[in-house]
Amino acid sequence: MTDPITVAVLQNRLNAIAEEMGEAMLRTAYSQILNSSRDFSIALIDARCRLVAQADHIPVHVGAMPWAAKANAERFPNPSPGDIYLLNDPYRGGSHLPDLTIFVPVFAPAADGTPNGGQLMFWSVNRAHHSDIGGATHGAYNPAATEIWHEGLRLPPIRLTENGVLREDLLEMLALNVRHPRDFRGDLAAQIGSAKLGEQRLNAVIAEFGATVLAESIDAMLDAAERHARGTVATWADGDYYGEAVLDDDGFGKTDIVIRARVTKKGSDVTVDLTESDPQVTGFVNSSHANTQSAVSMAFAFLLDPDITKNEGAFRPLKVVLKEGTIVWAREGAPVTMCTSHCSNEIIEAIIVALAPACPERAMGGWGRRMRIALNGTDPRTGRRFIWHMFQARPGGGGSVAGDGYSTIGEWHSAGGIKFGSIEVAETRFPLVFETHEYRPGSAGDGAHRGGYGGDMRLRVEATGNCVANTAGEGVVHGARGILGGSDGAPHDYTLLAPDAAPRKLKTKEINVPVPTGSVIHVLSGGGGGWGDPAKRDQADRDADRREGLLT
Amino acid sequence: MAYTIGIDVGGTFTDIVVSTPDGRTVVAKAATTPADQSDGVLDGIALAAERLGLSATALLGTTARIVHGTTAATNALLEGKSARVGMLTTEGHRDVIEMREGLKPERYNLRMAPPVPLVRRGLRLSVRERMRGDGSVETPLDRASLNAAIDHLAREDVPAVAICFLHAWRNPAHEIEAAAAVRARLPNAYVTTSSDVLPQIKEFERFSTTVANAAVGPVIENYLGRLSRRLADAGYGGELLVILSHGGVASVAEAIRLAAGTALSGPAGGVAAAVALAREGVARNLIAFDMGGTSTDIALVRDGAPTLSDGKTVGGARIALPSLDIVTLGAGGGSLGKIDKAGLLAVGPESAGADPGPACYGLGGTSPAVTDANLVLGYLDPTNFLGGRRTLDADASAAAVTRLADALGVGVADAAGGIHRLVNTRMADGVRVATVRRGVDPRGFTLLAFGGAAGLHVTAVAAELGIARVVVPVAASVLSAWGMLNTDLRVELTRSQGQLRGIDMAMLARSYAEMEREGRERLSWFDGEVVVRRSADMRYGEQVFEIAVPLDDVAQDGASIEEAFHRAHEALYTYALRDQDVVLVNARLSVIGRLPPAAAGGMGTVGAAPASAKGTRRVHLGGWTDIPVYDFAALAADQTVRGPAIVESDTTTVLLRAGNVGRFDARGWLDVTVQDGATP
Repeated sequence: MTDPITVAVLQNRLNAIAEEMGEAMLRTAYSQILNSSRDFSIALIDARCRLVAQADHIPVHVGAMPWAAKANAERFPNPSPGDIYLLNDPYRGGSHLPDLTIFVPVFAPAADGTPNGGQLMFWSVNRAHHSDIGGATHGAYNPAATEIWHEGLRLPPIRLTENGVLREDLLEMLALNVRHPRDFRGDLAAQIGSAKLGEQRLNAVIAEFGATVLAESIDAMLDAAERHARGTVATWADGDYYGEAVLDDDGFGKTDIVIRARVTKKGSDVTVDLTESDPQVTGFVNSSHANTQSAVSMAFAFLLDPDITKNEGAFRPLKVVLKEGTIVWAREGAPVTMCTSHCSNEIIEAIIVALAPACPERAMGGWGRRMRIALNGTDPRTGRRFIWHMFQARPGGGGSVAGDGYSTIGEWHSAGGIKFGSIEVAETRFPLVFETHEYRPGSAGDGAHRGGYGGDMRLRVEATGNCVANTAGEGVVHGARGILGGSDGAPHDYTLLAPDAAPRKLKTKEINVPVPTGSVIHVLSGGGGGWGDPAKRDQADRDADRREGLLT
Repeated sequence: MAYTIGIDVGGTFTDIVVSTPDGRTVVAKAATTPADQSDGVLDGIALAAERLGLSATALLGTTARIVHGTTAATNALLEGKSARVGMLTTEGHRDVIEMREGLKPERYNLRMAPPVPLVRRGLRLSVRERMRGDGSVETPLDRASLNAAIDHLAREDVPAVAICFLHAWRNPAHEIEAAAAVRARLPNAYVTTSSDVLPQIKEFERFSTTVANAAVGPVIENYLGRLSRRLADAGYGGELLVILSHGGVASVAEAIRLAAGTALSGPAGGVAAAVALAREGVARNLIAFDMGGTSTDIALVRDGAPTLSDGKTVGGARIALPSLDIVTLGAGGGSLGKIDKAGLLAVGPESAGADPGPACYGLGGTSPAVTDANLVLGYLDPTNFLGGRRTLDADASAAAVTRLADALGVGVADAAGGIHRLVNTRMADGVRVATVRRGVDPRGFTLLAFGGAAGLHVTAVAAELGIARVVVPVAASVLSAWGMLNTDLRVELTRSQGQLRGIDMAMLARSYAEMEREGRERLSWFDGEVVVRRSADMRYGEQVFEIAVPLDDVAQDGASIEEAFHRAHEALYTYALRDQDVVLVNARLSVIGRLPPAAAGGMGTVGAAPASAKGTRRVHLGGWTDIPVYDFAALAADQTVRGPAIVESDTTTVLLRAGNVGRFDARGWLDVTVQDGATP
């Protein structure tokens, strides 16, 4: 039995390794989605594929990593020191194709003391969202996809090395199948570097404390997190609960797609059953199995204490029941690229709505949906083609026991982790003028604590050369849910105002919408959901909202 | 020759260091007076004068320079006591400071109320005007909307006004016009513009900094105005200088204009001391490790120079002025040991603070702080804390630690040892943040310990990081005030360039000329040597992190500047991309007025002959053992002390562990070699 103090010291050391791996990734990644938007995650997973430590980056990745590690370990049961593995296929441990996951195995010392020469102890893991993965459209998000082959290059678990040396021929083959081979190679190199750094640091910890003490300490820290989680869950009211959340459509005529969560809470155990959710659909809002597992873990984590150590133990009280062929577990072949946003957001929301009566002090109003716009046109100042992705005018977050929701903060799945960046920089680099970018008064869901406000953005497009817009997202029909009597946030409302043309509402899954020079895209993004009965809202808070010009 | 005085106002004590004309250093500590810090400053000066056998008037009358570090701005921001601010901003963009670019801390905490912005929405007033990114006017400044906004500010009677227009970094004309109109209507208000405070692209950082400047401007104006008057009344005829966040000093007028630039004025003195000690020959590469009661500040000195960052967040306010890159950990001697909700031992984030303080202070604290653990382990002498001015209650410490030990099911010494080890691990991780995570290998650095508590932890921190050398100055507890006597006058200027790609040499040359003119003008009162340093923030087209590239030794043409960037990138990240677009984002210029440094000598006494141990103490180092205790003040030049041992002075205790060898350097510090395999 290891002593509690060594366990505490080792837990700090392992968390520090994950943080350091994340920092290395941030500083060396080349593409903007990684170094600015930080759409990557780090995990240390043990030989039994249990999550041991992680760095807080993008919550939707982290619950999915053990599934990826399992798929990789099943395919490669006998890894060797120096090996590097890669996968992305959503039907083989991945979440969606643009997320590439790198695995480096870490071993105990051999009997003679040679480092890394003994039994497998860890997988050092890095997952990153690549800006392109081939397929029919640029940037991986293809609303027109009806099968996964339209979405890009599929990679089952593969070994990138031969006798510890990277296979250059294999890397060339991968790079040949994506649109930005230089970014792809650079970002993949950064991922490998970060995972190898984890290997080095773990080897040092193993050398200092010994494999046995470390393994026993890991058991103890997983048990400790389980105790923490169970201690929290035990305070919730027992019962059978039900919640649902609705997607607007699949882009192919199927509307109001419902996620249904039956949640049983008994003692310190929670069972989430999503089997009654609607059947899978034609478009890319289907979820892969690992992504749904992750979304459920995320919802559960949001209801625990924020400072709980996020390892396998923390999730032991949670049981997930899924049925293949539903929107939350699509059969192999269906498109799934949107799933890390949608239907992840709706899965989380259905579970939080279900459990709100069990733990009202912990549940929160709904966070906004993602609706992205990408513009592709010519910059008249340089004559060059450009592609611009909209991160501005984010939706509002939900209210909670702590107070009103954050305004223009984003969605459940990123939870305030993605920066929209400077408007001055955007105007300098792209032929765009942000006439307005402010809060959208009246958009927040009412409640004892209201949701956050969405955004109001008027974007004038000065691009030339047949500029077109693609949209991808959700939330024009269904806004973020209010809970415990709180109201829903206003849904999105996007309008294209082209010169000499009637205003045109933008749908959530459109491609190649013409945007002539001088057009204004008017984005009204959704507000967050309210928490608790609006009648119980403090009059002073209502007066303040009126005074600050936030009511309509 | 005349005296120079350094003044560091801390949370508990106001430290005064006087450098005498004959090269001695005299130290005084007075209680900090939070209601009006100038009371404590004058008390401290009186105490120092007494030690010199002078009256305060006689001391101040022969003092050539006073350098002051103040926490007035930081405290105002942290305690929500800053001034009420009205903001004028571009129509359609009044929520910039509250949106915070869509970021929120604590990824898994969805039960958090959003931070309250420094200016509420109703006082963020729209003005119809608009510049474009190239500096051309999209919408002229509309006087009617400007006047309506100023009417509103007049009705609200705000003491401070921040003027923040989009693209004012490129063309400040509208801001200048608006500021003149506000000053005419509100002659008593503190008025500041974003193009004056931080003429740099990126509106959130510029606006947030300008608003913070307005919020602390009146506070700093009142405080420094009062302190200057009181010092003048007491006989001081020189310039009062204030140390700023970038580590240089400035006149009172400049500190008021750029009030937000005093946000790191407190800890800046410590970094200045580390730089001065680097110059004294301690080492070219130092990690300054300042462990206090509630927090620990960690900063790097590389090749004798401090490291700057692009800003700091204080009390939720982003201040994007060039600032010393100080990593602040929320852990120190007052951090409390506890059992977390998972049943594991944890230290902090709760702290005992100064009141009630650790259990051993006997002021009602019942939870075990790091200081209590150190007392239980025998590392501290309960009768010699702060030179005997405070006696520590060892029984109270033991009782507090015992409660925790019982709950954990371990022995009392093991629980105390656990707190000690855990805080060492936290500190080591803090040093990793300051080094490894900035791409710096700490193993080539010397760890410089200061603050009263650092000496007990620093060698373990070094061992965990593979650092071979630790230095603990005898004056560790007043080092910040001493550091202030070793700084230069400094004006930091910046101008964004904003091209899409390539470098516009004509614009760059114009920016440098403008900045040099402005900087020299701000130092026009100073009659010493003035030097100028140029650099630029550059990146590749698609990157988001810029690198600071020194340009002093680079030919002023596009190709040479780009090549300097490629080399800097290669040195940092191991590769350069010579086929990529290079973007020069900001031109920077430092104008430095050289001040004579104070002597390091006389920081402590030097024994004539090697001192023997003054006694032994029973300490817990894995098991209980008696180890020798040496008087820091009695050590002779080059005397060595082998661990395990304790070396202590009135205000500083150093624990040497097995494998540590300390050598007393007559210049005033203990030089410790941490051997491989030393106990962490």
